[in-house]
Amino acid sequence: MRWLIEFIVRYRNFCSLLLTTVLSVLMIIAPRADQENTARYLTMTVFYPVYVTISQVSSFTGVYAENKRLRQELAEANTQLQFIRDLSSENMRLRGLLGFAENTLYKLTPVRVVARDPSHQYRSVVVSGGSVQGVTTFMPLVGEHGAVGKVTQVMGNMSMVQLMRDPSNRTSVMVLRSRSAGILQTENGRDFFVRLRSHEDVLAGDTIITSGLGGIYPRGLKVGYVTKIDDKSNLLFKRAYMDFAVNFDRLEEVFVMRLPPQWAAQKAEIDSIKFEKK
Amino acid sequence: MNSALRWAGWFLVCAILQSTLVPHIAIMTVKPDLPLLALFFLATKAGVMPGVLVGFFLGLGHDLFSPGLLGSNSLAMGLTGALCGLFNERVMRLDPIMRAVLMLAAFFVNDTVVMLVHLLKVDGAVSTLFMELLVVTLPRSVYTLACSAIPFIWITVIKPQRLVD
Repeated sequence: MRWLIEFIVRYRNFCSLLLTTVLSVLMIIAPRADQENTARYLTMTVFYPVYVTISQVSSFTGVYAENKRLRQELAEANTQLQFIRDLSSENMRLRGLLGFAENTLYKLTPVRVVARDPSHQYRSVVVSGGSVQGVTTFMPLVGEHGAVGKVTQVMGNMSMVQLMRDPSNRTSVMVLRSRSAGILQTENGRDFFVRLRSHEDVLAGDTIITSGLGGIYPRGLKVGYVTKIDDKSNLLFKRAYMDFAVNFDRLEEVFVMRLPPQWAAQKAEIDSIKFEKK
Repeated sequence: MNSALRWAGWFLVCAILQSTLVPHIAIMTVKPDLPLLALFFLATKAGVMPGVLVGFFLGLGHDLFSPGLLGSNSLAMGLTGALCGLFNERVMRLDPIMRAVLMLAAFFVNDTVVMLVHLLKVDGAVSTLFMELLVVTLPRSVYTLACSAIPFIWITVIKPQRLVD
């Protein structure tokens, strides 16, 4: 035994080379199943710390790339989410409009607001419907919450709409409950009121509707709600201040009522009247 | 003992760099082989037996973590360690050119053994061996040789006494 140890010590280089070569050859010529078992055993025992260390460090190096990828995916997901939210919001609005369209007696043409008056408190909008769609001037526009305005100018595929809140758009309205009629007015472009005689019955919370007297808007379109009554500034008249039912800042989809003005039938006769010059 | 631990640390660092950094510095799929480079430095410093044993275990680790034939790399790196250990600094003094030639030879020996084992196992044609050595081994060994300039300068110029026990 001693000679063996002396031999190994003396020829340690050769012995180590022989040993490792024999082990390697044995592994090479071993059947595939034995190779897999050996590899599995060595991986889970001797080389396990090395494997864990390398895999941990490798996972750290992937953090930057993963972070970059996740950021990109997050941006894409947020974009898609915003798009879906827009679609959902539009869907809800259109459902409301559809319900309104089904419950009304008039022929309605759906149009979309494509441009707005650039002024601070815009008074008009441009909608995506014109003479091609059968829109003519003075046709009223409505939304699901009530009257929006009237067409003032028609082009091929778009029209200019004067909104109800344009101070020059003096609309004849009435109180739904008491049927008291008046003209919708404003003095500063922000606060709208209906001028009524002092004895008329109107209360805060009353609904204001179109009276149908102007010839453009049919009777019964909701205009707004009375917020307060001012009957002290004038003995003969009182003012019923109101808020519009339609939110003009959020207009997107509206309907053109295919309703020509009531005077259209007599327009030719009216135009033919020749006034005598004095 | 300290030297052994230090070398173990270097080998671990090389193994980590091989799996993390090296794929990013590959030039047209040609990557340096840092564990083999470390084996070369160890064998030329410490001799045949450390070169053989470390080479065997390095090759075994390579076999375990790659889908190749179990034992082929352990055999190849053991033989490579033995070859490099024959030219260790206790026996002869290596100048830089001799060292570079020896490193290239170590790569060729290593790859030749691995490919021969595979060819014998699958009964392949030996003629493909030369093409593989030319296309795969030569660029890899040259790239590794270029990378070895950093540890070579470190060992021979900056810290010449550290790694020699």
